[in-house]
Amino acid sequence: MDALGLARLQFATTTSFHFLFVLLTLGLVTVVAVTQTRAALSANPVHARMTRFWGRLYVVNYALGIATGIVMEFQFGLNWSGLSTFAGDVFGAPLALETLVAFFLESTFLGLWIFGWDRLGKWVHLALIWLVALTAYASAFWIMMANAFLQHPVGHELRDGVLRMVDFSALLANPTFGTAFLHVCFAALTVGGVFVTGVSAYHFIRRTSEVEFFRRSLRLGVVLTAVATPFLVGFGFGQFPILQEFQPEKLDTVGALDGTGLGFMIQIGFVLLLVSWATVPLLFRDWVVKMRFPLYLMVVGIPLPFVAAIGGWLFREVGRQPWLVQGLLTTSDAVSHVGRDQMLVSFIAFTAVFAVLAVADWVLIARLARRGPVSSDEEPVSPLVPAL
Amino acid sequence: MEGVWVVLLAFLTCGYFALAGFDYGVGVLLRLVARDERSRRVVLRAVTPFFLGNEVWLVAAVGVLFGAFPRLEGELLSSQHTVFAVLLTGLVCFTVAVQLRSPGWDFLLVGGALVVAVSWGVLLGRVLGGPSVLWGAGVLVLFSLHGAVFLAWRLSGELRRRAVRIAVSLVLPCAAFVVAAVFTAGPVAVPAFGLVAVVAVGLSGGAWVALRCERYRVAFGCSALLCALPVVAVFGARSVVTVSVMADPSTLRVLTWAAVAVVPLVLVFQWATWWMSRAAR
Repeated sequence: MDALGLARLQFATTTSFHFLFVLLTLGLVTVVAVTQTRAALSANPVHARMTRFWGRLYVVNYALGIATGIVMEFQFGLNWSGLSTFAGDVFGAPLALETLVAFFLESTFLGLWIFGWDRLGKWVHLALIWLVALTAYASAFWIMMANAFLQHPVGHELRDGVLRMVDFSALLANPTFGTAFLHVCFAALTVGGVFVTGVSAYHFIRRTSEVEFFRRSLRLGVVLTAVATPFLVGFGFGQFPILQEFQPEKLDTVGALDGTGLGFMIQIGFVLLLVSWATVPLLFRDWVVKMRFPLYLMVVGIPLPFVAAIGGWLFREVGRQPWLVQGLLTTSDAVSHVGRDQMLVSFIAFTAVFAVLAVADWVLIARLARRGPVSSDEEPVSPLVPAL
Repeated sequence: MEGVWVVLLAFLTCGYFALAGFDYGVGVLLRLVARDERSRRVVLRAVTPFFLGNEVWLVAAVGVLFGAFPRLEGELLSSQHTVFAVLLTGLVCFTVAVQLRSPGWDFLLVGGALVVAVSWGVLLGRVLGGPSVLWGAGVLVLFSLHGAVFLAWRLSGELRRRAVRIAVSLVLPCAAFVVAAVFTAGPVAVPAFGLVAVVAVGLSGGAWVALRCERYRVAFGCSALLCALPVVAVFGARSVVTVSVMADPSTLRVLTWAAVAVVPLVLVFQWATWWMSRAAR
């Protein structure tokens, strides 16, 4: 494989790993914000315990995901210097906005939320988690805006051989942006819902004594999934007419890889939609817990939305080839002048580190999820989260 | 308008070196300052409230580099491909090892911090045209000093004594590095280099005096500024940033609104984090 192939493979690997972390982060932060709001409004201590339990899983995932995000950010300049040289004036703007408006603030708010536990006032602390959630979705907003520019470049003019921005609002109004952004948001909510459902189901399989805790969590997860999936599927199919108009070749030349990705995504989306709505009536009097077999399906289902998301991502990105910026810059013109060996070494290093990172994340999250809610005086899981 | 963005980029980069510098320093010194598992946890607890907030300065700086200096970003990163790849690998290892700390994996924590510090040194050396070995070792010493001073400030008892001893012993190597860096400076035009070096030597002396007088916060201020100085040297020493590498004014206008809103907010909230963990002690 040549340097270009390696650079592409490296980008695909990094993005996929990053995307797995991001989806769970976005999904869980919503769950945590909801439970903390209920904790603030209700006298029942179970909500505060739920906030602590799900918040701990969220923080671990965020803290490890940030490492993949940093590598993602550097990779544009490292491997795709042609992109920043040619389109950086336009494409770079939403990326810079993401790091400033979203990431920079999000981490700052989150640090304060973690260490403000039991130290800040109830309402200030609640406001912080909502600010974290808001800035997290703002991240997705700017990133999808940048990505939409690659799909359908708007708001620019070609001057002195490089793209210059002429109309920022055109980037906002980009038809390949809004629907796709909402699709990703609901995908994240689905991931969060399925994850919370699956973990709660696991505890019912193990005949947990924390019945109220996991009943409420299970209900939250199922309802969140049931609410999110119709929108998820709707905004997914809503993109086909847009594709037909702006990137018809994406649909005409579906290859093995992106075709499989698309197929998996659509099938999993429908399965989750049907299953979650079939489960809603079973929440009545905890039938779903008494029947038991749905619990096993819920645990098995945890990876499904992740697989679907990677499939969707492959379809969106592979389908655009050979273009990096549709119609303006090809992938082979954008790759940095970096030797094959250098590219190979960095590819191996990053992939190895990320594989370890993902495994560590899943092992740790699984361990924490299995342990269930515990009293706060027990050994903290990570020095980063002593409060949790 | 262009000037504002050069200043902002310099500010974010300085902020990253001054803040994350002590993270890496503490990482490098972890096994030296703390001899047993219990005290290692105490040492890490001192850093972790700031960890997320410190690291994100790098993310913001690179974001600004991409958005406002697109042609510099691609050129700089791709020309130093291997150094950045090594740096990032170290950074990921260090981040993960701190967050999932388990005693058996401390080699990743110490090793990761070491790799990050040396890589930044090598990069700065290459940009300024100095010898890589000197700069690699120099920035490692700088960050270690900063980490030791931070621990001297935030810890107490035997751990503080040990941190002070390490910090004091690092002051002289620091000053020596600064002097050596001036004398071995490459063919790059460096008008402000001498001035930066004088300030750097002064700050090393200031840190030493403050440590001796047990004024740890003052010492921390000195070492923080000391860590940011190489960045100042880069921005002052050569014309790394010219209008041709910058984004069009139409792009900068959009970004300026965001920066004006966000940077003060971040400063206020990060200050709140520091204030809160001080109040809790």
